[in-house]
Amino acid sequence: MSSTEDRIRQLVEENLEVDGQPIAQPINLDSNLSDAGVSSMDVVAFGKLVNEEFNANLSVEDCAKLPTLRALIDHLDA
Amino acid sequence: MAWLNEEEKARWQRYEHDGARRRFVLCRAALRAILCSQLGCENERLEFGASDHGKPFAVVNGRRHPISFNVSHSGKHGLVAFAPKGRLGVDVEERVARRDLDVLVTSVLSLGEQAELALKRGCDKVHLFFSLWTIKEALIKALGKGFSLDVSGFEVPLAMRRGVVTSTFRFPEMPSVRWRLENLGNERFAAAIAHEQF
Repeated sequence: MSSTEDRIRQLVEENLEVDGQPIAQPINLDSNLSDAGVSSMDVVAFGKLVNEEFNANLSVEDCAKLPTLRALIDHLDA
Repeated sequence: MAWLNEEEKARWQRYEHDGARRRFVLCRAALRAILCSQLGCENERLEFGASDHGKPFAVVNGRRHPISFNVSHSGKHGLVAFAPKGRLGVDVEERVARRDLDVLVTSVLSLGEQAELALKRGCDKVHLFFSLWTIKEALIKALGKGFSLDVSGFEVPLAMRRGVVTSTFRFPEMPSVRWRLENLGNERFAAAIAHEQF
């Protein structure tokens, strides 16, 4: 089975865009999604995708507050 | 770029996407120009602080200034608003078709708003969703507590859901505070402002 990191990377690659373009590659797990140019609307939608993929229960607030993708991975692995 | 301080330049560098960088520097420079004009101060005297939830405030000559302001940008659009008093929030979003619209709808809209949206089809549905989103985000930004407030737990006034441009609003949890809402959007972008009234 793929690691949480691999699955998050795949979710980002397949779903997150900035101005209609894929998010910058390689994906920087230590950056804030906002710094990557991702809108709050996209962050909320991404959180829902993560919930479905990992059977998690992230709230809109959780999605907005997680500082980095690595923090999200750590949260899911905890 | 010359108008930005070292902290802002560092933030500019952290943006990984050229478009996001450009939007940040243009909006921050516009904000500085407006605030300096309104406050009668030199750009070098203007700094920014932030609340616990990240809402910025102006600092002039080392002291917090009470002027309210808020900034939003999306695509090629930027929105800067300011007022002498009263909390203020703005949001702008380019209207673009989204394959995940239904996911967003169930995440951020109340059941009443979802029912209203279900009556719409195609472009009308996208149009209304973006209008509702920007009004809600403007309110959240005005309140300054981030998404700690349940976005689906309050409703955009019915009149605005049906096309009226301005209305007043009260959060169920804080009925003593009144907000003025205005839908500033057009066909290309959705935009809204929320301003605390006294």
